[in-house]
Amino acid sequence: MNAQAITRTSPLATWVGVGIVAGVVVAIILLLEASGSAFWQGIFITLGMFIILAVSLNLASGFTGVFSLGHIGFMALGAYIAAILTLPVENKEELLNLPGWLATIHLDFTVGTFPLGFLTATLIAGLIASLLAVVVGAVLMRLSGHFVAVATLGFLVIVRVVLINADDFTRGARTFSNVTPYTDLWWVYGWAAVTLYTIWRIKFSAYGRAMFAQREDVAAARSVGIVIMRSRLFAFVVSAFFTAVAGSLWGHFITSFSPNAFYFDLTFRVITMLVVGGMGSVSGSVVGPVLITALAEALRRLEDYNQLYGISGISLALLFLIIIIFRPNGLMGSREFDVEWLGQRVLRALSFGRRREGEKPERFPAGE
Amino acid sequence: MNTVAVKRLFAAAFVLGILLSLPVLSLAQEGDPIVIGGGFGLTGGMASLDVPASNGALLAVQEINAAGGVLGRPLEIVVLDSQTEPDTTAQIARQMIEENQIVASVGFTDSDSALAFGPIMQEAGLPFITAGATSPKLPDQIGDMMFMAPFGDNTQAAVAAEYAFENFGPNGYLLTNLGSEYTRLLADFFKIRFEELGGTLVLEDTFELATSDFTPQITRLSALGTQPDFYFISSLPEDIGPFARQMRDAGFDGPIVSGDGADTPLLIEVGQEAANDVYFTTHALMDGENGTEAVQAFVAAYTEEYGHAPENAFAALGYDAVYLLADAIERAGSTDAVAIQTALNETENFAAVTGSITFTGGSRVPQKAVTIIQVVDQQLTLAGEFVPESVPAAEPAEEPAATEAAA
Repeated sequence: MNAQAITRTSPLATWVGVGIVAGVVVAIILLLEASGSAFWQGIFITLGMFIILAVSLNLASGFTGVFSLGHIGFMALGAYIAAILTLPVENKEELLNLPGWLATIHLDFTVGTFPLGFLTATLIAGLIASLLAVVVGAVLMRLSGHFVAVATLGFLVIVRVVLINADDFTRGARTFSNVTPYTDLWWVYGWAAVTLYTIWRIKFSAYGRAMFAQREDVAAARSVGIVIMRSRLFAFVVSAFFTAVAGSLWGHFITSFSPNAFYFDLTFRVITMLVVGGMGSVSGSVVGPVLITALAEALRRLEDYNQLYGISGISLALLFLIIIIFRPNGLMGSREFDVEWLGQRVLRALSFGRRREGEKPERFPAGE
Repeated sequence: MNTVAVKRLFAAAFVLGILLSLPVLSLAQEGDPIVIGGGFGLTGGMASLDVPASNGALLAVQEINAAGGVLGRPLEIVVLDSQTEPDTTAQIARQMIEENQIVASVGFTDSDSALAFGPIMQEAGLPFITAGATSPKLPDQIGDMMFMAPFGDNTQAAVAAEYAFENFGPNGYLLTNLGSEYTRLLADFFKIRFEELGGTLVLEDTFELATSDFTPQITRLSALGTQPDFYFISSLPEDIGPFARQMRDAGFDGPIVSGDGADTPLLIEVGQEAANDVYFTTHALMDGENGTEAVQAFVAAYTEEYGHAPENAFAALGYDAVYLLADAIERAGSTDAVAIQTALNETENFAAVTGSITFTGGSRVPQKAVTIIQVVDQQLTLAGEFVPESVPAAEPAEEPAATEAAA
């Protein structure tokens, strides 16, 4: 891998590019808020949540090649921990049977109109999930291939059984309800931006390159001094943090959920998005959710209109097969959307940028 | 360039989405019908109860329109599929409200879906009548726009407990599916009422969602010194058939008792001769010959429309929910949500297929008679209709939070 490949030739152009993308997202959010349509806001909130989930799963699985089927377990923990913390005290007494110290904690306070308690609860949920990921990862990240997929699946099953049986904390299999709907577009896309930035930086850091190196060839990576365990565990823990954050956001959006919501369906939905977008590409993990969400919504309307219930599941499965056959690395592979190129186009149009004939920077090849 | 291909895909998906939403959007402007929402899990885990409920609701709308509509206007129902997914359930609620301008809604036969759908209707200030979700806590959990067409689980569990205590004896066995709100609540209510009557549960056992092998439970049952007089199983539709079979194969011939989760064609299809001597509580017996007059008329109309008899009582509940709403709109004299809510609250002795519905007592859970069905020679037969002598309060399982250790 040559160092030139990822050198940012023009920081200004990069920032302009990022600014344009951010500007478009903010404009969409403002537009959605102005429209007052809870339905379309709901679609975009769910989309943002899936972007966070897909990008974090990409870090743990796409970058490292350690295929995790257990991430939704961290999401479930994030949703339950944050929801227990923000639940108003009177609802805690009514719905749950918490130990005294926990029953009096209520992170439902706000500073002005800003729900600081929700932010704190989300961070705590993320940190607890990360701590658990350290313990779980220390054991599971030693495995590879099919073994790790089965073992992480085991983790998902364990989380679900614990949630169902921790009756006093979670209401067991019964629906956990009355969660305050704090989550809005700003929260989701704010967290999505933090997630994207963090994971993007990891990808282009020494840690990230160590992950890709050991994914391609464990022996070669070891020979140049990469500690396999450390790079995998780092990816797993950071990924668990953001997955739990997505769980908290989802919990405070949907406001009532049971352990059944965090199981195979959701696991495979996120994996589909990840694989369609491209394992190893951060922008792929944005493209995947956008594409799948748009198609799922379009097909759902088609089936309600034609009363062909169930057709959307079949169509999505077919599409997934076609993508896997013709583009086994997903739509983006390991490549990234080039924000610098976008920035330069704009700068050139405004005639601020220096002309760089035939000097377009290479994309990150990731050893393909 | 790959990014160009991606952009094209984006654009195509977006345009497709807009185009597909157009026909739905234009529906709201045609003519002048009164539009109500129908949310059902037509695919996914609840399909075996929600499809009959949705068929019942559609049949009711058709009949009402044939008889001149509501307030002289045609009634239109927008049925959307929740896919039995919580986020889709919430989204279809928003879709009905914003794109179809519904005035009220009916739907769903399970508490989880009602809890995802109800709060959005509540926030929009539109009445929602659940067709078959039986948790008696729903109206308190969701709010004053939430109404129930069926009785609560506390009522059916009380009837089951009283019936079992009187007819089978004071020693019971309780087996609970831990995987759902409904089965947990039903078991809790059954236990409270049965012990109140002086009965003893000689063994309480549990199983996980999607269990099809009951060997461990049956082994524990065999290890008992004295056998219970009957076996109560709080279960979901897919559990009852295999359980009855495996019990009979292991030589347990005593009566098996269950709730309306056993009101599924699967009981006899899977259980066959093992289903004999299974008793369950439900909303009405769908019997075209021996049922009540209302049931007979409903069974005939349903059979004519769909080519087969109603699958279970949920078909009748979906039908009742629509008639209940139409009646309230008629009495309200307008489609204003608050007027409909007021009219619903004033519902008194409304004659539904599944029994009489009254909300005037301030409770939005109707106190209806509970039907007990007994399987005889692989046929569902009426064992009786009962009103419980005493019903456990709707909040049994929750003990007050421990506050003495407060820091």
